[in-house]
Amino acid sequence: MSILLDRGNRVLIQGITGHMGTFFVEDARRYGTQVVAGVSPGREGAEVGGVPVFGSVRAARETTGADTAIVFVPPAAVLGAALEAIEGGCRLVVATADELPVQDAIELRAAARAHSAAFVGPNTPGIISPGKAKLGFMPSFCYGRGPVGVISRSGSLSYECCKRLTLAGIGQSTVIGIGGDPVKGTTAAEALALFHDDPETEALLYLGEIGGSDEDEVAWYAARAEAKPVAALIVGRTAPPGKKMGHAAALIGSRADGHAAKVTLLSDAGVAVAATLTEVIPAMRAALARRPAPAAAYATAPQRS
Amino acid sequence: MMMLEYQGKQLLRSAGVNVPDGIVVPRNGRAVEKIADRVEHYPVAVKAQVASGSRGKRGGVLRTETPQAMVACARQLFDTVFGEERPRALLIEPWLAIERELYLSVTVDGRADGYAVIYAPKGGIDIEDGPPPVRYGVGAAQRFRAHELRHALAGAESDYQLREKVVALAQRLVRAAAAHDCTTIEINPLAVLAGGELVAADAKVVRDEWAAFRNEQIRAAREEAKRRAGKLLRGCLDMQHMYVRLDGDIGLISGGAGMTMAAMDMIAEFGGRPACFLDCSPGPTSTRGYRPAFALLDADPQVKVILVSVFGGGTQMQRVANSMKEIMRERKSAKPVVFRLDGTNVDQVPAILGGFGARNHDRLEDAVAEAVRLAKGAR
Repeated sequence: MSILLDRGNRVLIQGITGHMGTFFVEDARRYGTQVVAGVSPGREGAEVGGVPVFGSVRAARETTGADTAIVFVPPAAVLGAALEAIEGGCRLVVATADELPVQDAIELRAAARAHSAAFVGPNTPGIISPGKAKLGFMPSFCYGRGPVGVISRSGSLSYECCKRLTLAGIGQSTVIGIGGDPVKGTTAAEALALFHDDPETEALLYLGEIGGSDEDEVAWYAARAEAKPVAALIVGRTAPPGKKMGHAAALIGSRADGHAAKVTLLSDAGVAVAATLTEVIPAMRAALARRPAPAAAYATAPQRS
Repeated sequence: MMMLEYQGKQLLRSAGVNVPDGIVVPRNGRAVEKIADRVEHYPVAVKAQVASGSRGKRGGVLRTETPQAMVACARQLFDTVFGEERPRALLIEPWLAIERELYLSVTVDGRADGYAVIYAPKGGIDIEDGPPPVRYGVGAAQRFRAHELRHALAGAESDYQLREKVVALAQRLVRAAAAHDCTTIEINPLAVLAGGELVAADAKVVRDEWAAFRNEQIRAAREEAKRRAGKLLRGCLDMQHMYVRLDGDIGLISGGAGMTMAAMDMIAEFGGRPACFLDCSPGPTSTRGYRPAFALLDADPQVKVILVSVFGGGTQMQRVANSMKEIMRERKSAKPVVFRLDGTNVDQVPAILGGFGARNHDRLEDAVAEAVRLAKGAR
C-alpha cells in the first residue's frame, strides 16, 4: 500500500504541451506512472510522446478514464485548471506551482473538500510512491520502496533527505510534498491521518521549517498512544525573525513560530528530532526502533516451560 | 508585502472602515513647508511612513501643538532612519481623543483553511505581550458568520454595543482581505472614541505579492521595491530570486527554501556564518539566471566565499553546471567558489565542473566544511 498514489492511478496532465508537461510525460512513464491523457485547450487532437491531448478534463476523462490530475500551468491559470479537475471528478489533484495567490489556494481547498477530492499543493514537487508511481518532478533516483512515510514542507529538502534514507537502506512508502504555503490542499495533519491508516507505513519522517502551525499538528499526532513513531527535522535555526525565507509560510511572526519552540514542542511529544541534516538518519533509525514488534514475534513470544 | 500606513488606510477607507482624515506628505523638501497651510486643527500626530515594525517605540509618531512645531517634527522624522529605511512619506492626522484601545486583525491562517479574525479587548500593545486573544477561524471569506464571531467574542467583550460594531467591522475586513488579496489586515489600536465610534488609528496591511498579475497596486508596489533595491539586488529580483541579507561571510547560492535554510543551519553548525538566504530556484537555471546572484555576492565586501548548493528536481543539474562553467569563465572576482550540486542528471555534473578545474562535492557536509575553512582563512 501507499497513500493517495499507486500503480492504479490514471493520470492526466494539464498543460501537457508546456515545458514541464512534456518533461513529465517521459519521466513519469519511465517510473511506471500511467499517464493516459493531456489537457491543453485549443490543442485537442495533438499527441505528446504518444499521449492524446484533449481540450477539457471532461473529454479526457470520458475517453481515457483518467482519475488523477497534475497541473502544470502558469500561476494565474492554476485556479481555473485545478477547479476543472476537482469539479470534473478527479480523486487526486496535484498543483505544483509556486507563486499562487493564497486566495486561490483557499478556494481550491474549499472546492476539494466539497468534492471529496484530495488536493496536494501548491508550491510542491508533488507526491511519489517509490517503486510504484510518481506525480511530480522530484528526482527519481533519490527514492526506494520501504516502510517510512515522508511529509515535507520543502521540495528540495525532501530530495536531500530521501536520498540519505535510500542510501542508508531505509525505503519510503509514499513521500508527499505538502508545500511551503500557509493554506495547503493537504495539511500535515491530513497526511498523518492517511499514513496512520496505511499498513505499509511503519514510521514517519516530517520535514518542517520555521513559521506556520503544521508542527503543532505533528506534535499532537505523535503524542497519541497509538501513533506510529515519528522522526523530524526542522530547518531555519539561523533564520532571522520577521523575514520571509522564500516560502510564504516560512516566516517567524510569533514566538511559537521559531525553531526552538517547534523543536521543544515536537521533542516533548516524543518525536525523534534531528538537530541537523546530518542527524536525520540516526533520528529515523531511533524512530524505526520504536516500532511495535511484528505480529509474528508475539506468536513465538515467551513460552512457559 | 507590507503597505505603508497611509496606503493601508486608503484601502480600509474604500472598504467602509473609519480612518482619521489624514494628510500625506511625500518625501520632498518643499512639501514640508507647505503642509502648515493644510492643517486646520491642532494637536496633530506626525507619523513616519515606514514598513519596518515597532515605529512607535522608536519615536516615529510625534504629537505637535503648533504649525512651527509640526514643521520641525516633519524635518526631524524625514532625517531619522527606522530599521534600515528613512520615511518615504509622513502622515499627519488629527490627534484622536481615545477612550479605549482595542485590537482587531484578519489574517491568513492555515489552521482555519483561510482567514482568521483575532480580537483582543486591550490594544495598542504587541498582541503577544497580552493575554491570549479571541480567535475565530473563518476559512474562505464567504464562510464568515456574524453569529459565530459574536459567540466567540461573548466571553471577552461584555459591552454588547461595542461587540456588534466589532462584528460588523470584522466582516468588512474579511471581505476586503479577499477582494484585495491581503494576507493580513491588522488594526492596532482600534480606537473607541467618546461617542462609541470605532476608528482605525493605525493600519498594517500586508498584500499577497503573488497576486500582482491581477492587482495594479500590488504590481506597482513590487516595481517600487525593485526600484529602491539598488542595481545589483534588482538584477536578482528581476530573476525572481529571493534574498535576505544576513551578517556572515559565506555567500550562499541555493535552490529551494528548505534546502537553503538547511545549508544555512549547517554552516552555523560547522562554525561558520551565512551571509545570506539566496534562493535562486524560482528563476531560470540558465547563465542569465545565476549571473546576477554572483554579481551581488562578488560585490559584497562582507562575502569571503561563495557556496553553491543546489539539489534540483525540476531543475536539471547539467544545465546548472553548464551555467556555472560560463559564469566562472567570465567572472572577475577571485573569491573562492565551492560547489555541491545534486539531483536530476547529476551524473553529468562532475565532468562539466572538472572541465574548468572545479570539483563537485557529493555531500553537503563536505562542501560546507570546505566553505567554512576557506572563510576562516580569508578573515
